[in-house]
Amino acid sequence: MKRSLKIITFFLLIALVGIQFIPTKRNQSNEVLTSDFMQVYQVPKKIEKMLKTSCYDCHSNNTDYPWYNKIQPISYFLEQHISEGKEELNFNEFGLYSKRRRRNKLRAITSQIKKGMMPLETYTIIHNEAKLSEKEKIVIEEWIDNILIK
Amino acid sequence: MKKQILTLGAAILFTLGSATFIGCGSDNHHDGDHHEHAEGEEHDHSVVSEEKQDNTVIHSGEKVKDLSMIIEAYLQLKNGLADDDEKKAAVAAEKMLVAFSGFDKSSLDESKLSEYSEIEESAIENAEHIAKSEIYHQREHLVILSEDINDLISLVGTSQKLYIDFCPMANDNKGAIWISDVEKISNPYMGAKMPKCGKIQEEIN
Repeated sequence: MKRSLKIITFFLLIALVGIQFIPTKRNQSNEVLTSDFMQVYQVPKKIEKMLKTSCYDCHSNNTDYPWYNKIQPISYFLEQHISEGKEELNFNEFGLYSKRRRRNKLRAITSQIKKGMMPLETYTIIHNEAKLSEKEKIVIEEWIDNILIK
Repeated sequence: MKKQILTLGAAILFTLGSATFIGCGSDNHHDGDHHEHAEGEEHDHSVVSEEKQDNTVIHSGEKVKDLSMIIEAYLQLKNGLADDDEKKAAVAAEKMLVAFSGFDKSSLDESKLSEYSEIEESAIENAEHIAKSEIYHQREHLVILSEDINDLISLVGTSQKLYIDFCPMANDNKGAIWISDVEKISNPYMGAKMPKCGKIQEEIN
């Protein structure tokens, strides 16, 4: 019994080492795109900072990775997660969206932030600085409402 | 024994390693180009829904020239939500995806085509979310989907008798519309909680 346990542990260890060789595509790019949200709208510095800190890691082409990203299977999950996030909303490609889609996304951004659905709690647990205070939420909401009227 | 384990271990390592090097290359390459055809192009959703056409009444190759299928799917969707029925709404949302791929946009004027494509893109995105979300989120997407379908009706036209209803309490008290084929108010945003909330804002036909 003891022996088989040892063998199982051994194989699990081997597998854990093995999966470290699975390469992941890192979501990083230094290109400044003209389609970026910050180019499309005149965003006040304060709001730009909030969006970049709280949203851009999963909703742009550039993620500021945590150190443990290099460990599998964590990097695999992060990769999946970022890919989904970007499909939903990519701030870098905002200018490529149709007018209707931009309006939809702006509305979705305010409602998700207001309801506390975004940024995700699983994200803010680790990235404390990404948490938005009630005051900050209102600042973002008012600014976006103002663009929507235009 | 020890030797055997070691050999096995090495074999596992090797297999894992080679398998991943072969498999990883093509993953996620599509991820950036998803939104690139924002302005009026066909998108990959239509390919997916076209495969589903087998299960519907549309015969392959025969496209529908009016909005009847799309409106029918919409009405089923909002009825599902009025009944607090998440499943029914999700099924109707799938049906709407099929209806869009079966719509004959070639009969539209060139001038209307780009607006049609924008509406279609938005409606499909909203319907896809409704197809896979919980009811509270389905209702959030109904707000925009209803506007899309309303705009689509204004653009393309319909011969159906329809009502545009409005509820001031929906959409976090910002108000939202929905489209109905009956005069009676049955609120898809509130469901059984407040079925009568709302009023007819406009009549079509």
